[in-house]
Amino acid sequence: MKPSPAMLAIVTDAFGGRGGIAQYNRDFLGALAESRIMSSITVLPRHAPDPPEPPKPIAQMPARPGRVAYSVAALRCALAQSVDLVFCGHIFMAPLAALIARLKAAKLVMQTHGIEAWPCPPRLQRAALESADLVLCVSRYTRATVLSWAAIAPDRVLVVPNTFKESFMPADGGTTRAALGIENKRVLLTVARMDSQQQYKGQDRVISAIPYVVAHGHNVEYAVVGEGDDRPRLESLAHKVGVSDRVRFFGATELRVLTALYSMADLFVMPSKGEGFGIAFLEAMVSGTPALGLNIAGTRDALADGELGTIVSESELPSAIVRLLNKPKPDPVALAAATRARFGREKFAADVRNAMNRLIEA
Amino acid sequence: MRCGLGHRRLSIVDLSERASQPMASDDGRFVVVFNGEIYNYPQLRAELETDGAHFRTTSDTEALLHLYARHGAEMVHRLRGMFAFAIWDVRQRRLFLARDPYGIKPLYIANDGWTFRFASQVKALLAGEHVSRDPEPAGIVGFHLFGSVPEPFTLYREIRSLPAGHTQWIDATGPREPKPFSNLAEVLARGAANPVPKAELCERLRAGVLDSVRAHLLADVEVGIFLSAGVDSGALLGLMRDAGQREIRAITLAFAEFQGTSEDEAPLAARVCEHYGARHIVRAVSEQEFFDDLPAILEAMDQPSIDGVNSWFVSKAAKEAGLKVAISGLGGDELLGGYPSFSDLPRWRQWFGPLAAIPGLGLFARKVLGRIVPGLARARPKVLGVLEHSGTWAGAYLLRRGLFMPSELHEVIDVEIVREGLRRLKPLQRINATLVPDPSSDGARVCVLESAHYMRNQLLRDADWVGMAHSLEIRVPLVDFTLLHALAPLIPTLREGTGKAALANAPSKPLPNNIVVRAKTGFNVPTGNWMNAAIDRGSHQASRTTEAKGLVSRRWSLAVLNGMASANVEPEVRAS
Repeated sequence: MKPSPAMLAIVTDAFGGRGGIAQYNRDFLGALAESRIMSSITVLPRHAPDPPEPPKPIAQMPARPGRVAYSVAALRCALAQSVDLVFCGHIFMAPLAALIARLKAAKLVMQTHGIEAWPCPPRLQRAALESADLVLCVSRYTRATVLSWAAIAPDRVLVVPNTFKESFMPADGGTTRAALGIENKRVLLTVARMDSQQQYKGQDRVISAIPYVVAHGHNVEYAVVGEGDDRPRLESLAHKVGVSDRVRFFGATELRVLTALYSMADLFVMPSKGEGFGIAFLEAMVSGTPALGLNIAGTRDALADGELGTIVSESELPSAIVRLLNKPKPDPVALAAATRARFGREKFAADVRNAMNRLIEA
Repeated sequence: MRCGLGHRRLSIVDLSERASQPMASDDGRFVVVFNGEIYNYPQLRAELETDGAHFRTTSDTEALLHLYARHGAEMVHRLRGMFAFAIWDVRQRRLFLARDPYGIKPLYIANDGWTFRFASQVKALLAGEHVSRDPEPAGIVGFHLFGSVPEPFTLYREIRSLPAGHTQWIDATGPREPKPFSNLAEVLARGAANPVPKAELCERLRAGVLDSVRAHLLADVEVGIFLSAGVDSGALLGLMRDAGQREIRAITLAFAEFQGTSEDEAPLAARVCEHYGARHIVRAVSEQEFFDDLPAILEAMDQPSIDGVNSWFVSKAAKEAGLKVAISGLGGDELLGGYPSFSDLPRWRQWFGPLAAIPGLGLFARKVLGRIVPGLARARPKVLGVLEHSGTWAGAYLLRRGLFMPSELHEVIDVEIVREGLRRLKPLQRINATLVPDPSSDGARVCVLESAHYMRNQLLRDADWVGMAHSLEIRVPLVDFTLLHALAPLIPTLREGTGKAALANAPSKPLPNNIVVRAKTGFNVPTGNWMNAAIDRGSHQASRTTEAKGLVSRRWSLAVLNGMASANVEPEVRAS
């Protein structure tokens, strides 16, 4: 019997980190730790603003923000211990991870998420990814784009979709609505950052659709959760189309408020054009709220090609919102159960276990 | 993991409905879909029945189910024939794919990360409209380099072929990396390590080819033959007689353009038929019929090919004659050293190899010659690449078989596609990889190169799509792994013409001498002129009948690609 392999994880952030990639790394490494496939998992992050609390047997090294310091630390760490598998959490770090894998004769697992992996990367990063034994992608779209620029056997490129936190579940939204004074309104919700450099999330498309939705008899309120420097533009747009009284910006919210907003909404709508996957769709649906997105990129996966949520073209968005609001909210428990069965943590853990097992067995 | 299987059958062995597919095992655990023919089915069945297997049909398909139940993936080593099949294990929820060692039968796969699809044609995968039509630069570049699309690539990024002689598992974690179970170079290398006296050539060859022909006659329908005036098909006809087939219908194409010339195969083929007492069907094909059929040819062409027109018409003739199975001499040239490449490649390596080894000289020579003798570059563009490519077997082969040279590609396709296509295709590395382990002799090396590239990617693909378009199974007894094993020790000893001479003498009643001495022409059609005319019809240019065949092929390749694009509403794969 082969001894269990030891893993070194080269990541931007994981435990103690913020944002989607940190969350994915935590989910991935946590699932791996639970599976007990690895004898040890050493995580080397570049950033960890919050106190890291990795589960056993994960050991996380101190964060090294500087590129050079990080590389030196990673090489030292690799040389000082046994490494059978190198996990690289971001394509920017692929050359370093590939170097370590080569030095240690270890297998290399590359993780790709979304827009960072869509354009063809610089030559070194591309060569590093092409040398990987396994490339994990969060969606079919990301996989297809990686294969469009990487000369790598397609069988080495797998889709392991995102999962969501256990905190999200269906709940009665009455209290939240009462607290917000919107008992008699239909509520649209988007949870996404507002980055002026990446205006693809689509809050502007929802704001522009509101007059059409109102004209079709729906007294709507649009709840926008998330922070970012694009907020002034969106506020100005709401003012311009005359719906600023119907758009409420919540900024970044704590988890408790977020779960309440998800359960309270009538429709989660995120007409994004650049989702690697779109975890927020899952969070909404597992909270029992139907979700609507565009038939573009990773959104198709999160909404399971329309089996769990609704996918439409950009031009169909206003009428799709009206159509979905015309119907009563579907059974939240059934929607949550279907979402959990497809994208829940158990499924995610099984996907991670299977992917790593096939690498270890090879 | 869920699995759906579908199948459209051309019934040849066990014509009854009970042999329809998908076919399930008695206990329902295994379900198979199978394209091809298992020629050692009678022996396998006898072994399996001795082992307690119960057969419900007389179909070779059922043997696959019993073999898989007993031997799992190792079953492939027991199969003699042409095959591409899939077996779904209902209990273990996993799929097993396999493709024959030579790649006679195609098997295309598409995986989007969620859904794995497979089919015997690329267009079947596209028909569902869930497989991306995004172009594959390696497939486009490969077509322009070789005149056919080199496997595992296709014109589409999401569709690849399962490589010949490979198996593949697909389970809940997706498709596993394909695993090889056979290797032409290895068979020849082993053969070279165990040489047999030259004197045994005729007897071994006779025994091996007769055994192969006998195996290839397994059918519950009549088996006919495509007959040219060459040695391969003539000898096969004689061996069909030796194998005991009484009634044989042989089909030969005739062209008004060739009447009274040495290229007219009909008179000599008629003599061969008379010699062996076969019924001769001569099918006349005219230029007008070529034009009439051209849209159908381009529509049926699964992947672009600069050949296949000849096979189209002979298959059409076989169908008109009511045949469902026809023997073809395809593969004889690859196996027995019938191509000029068997002498050219070693010679080029010997003459130019030392100069080609000087770094930069080849590139320099090409650039200088291109400047000072521009006429040469136009008339014989490949000559410019001699010093650049003849230093290695792969380079020399590319030079021999290449349609366009890598340095010319930018003249016909987008520069970015050329760059990315060459990077992904790695043509020289890919060709070299087929020569591992080293087959140990020049003849064996060229045999592998021709079999694993030109024959696999072009001749066999063409035979498949034209055959399927006419509901005809084309069988190739000279492309037989058992035969290759038998002849491998002799292949290094073959000299120019000795293999073909031995084949001509293989039937108990040898081929008439005038067939043997006649220069090889194969199944020729006056395609050069027709293609020129077809290209000119499209471009409204004057005919260029004096062009070398290679240049016509180049222009034809572009016409085919654009014609296919129009016929099948293809995406951005057009040539400029």
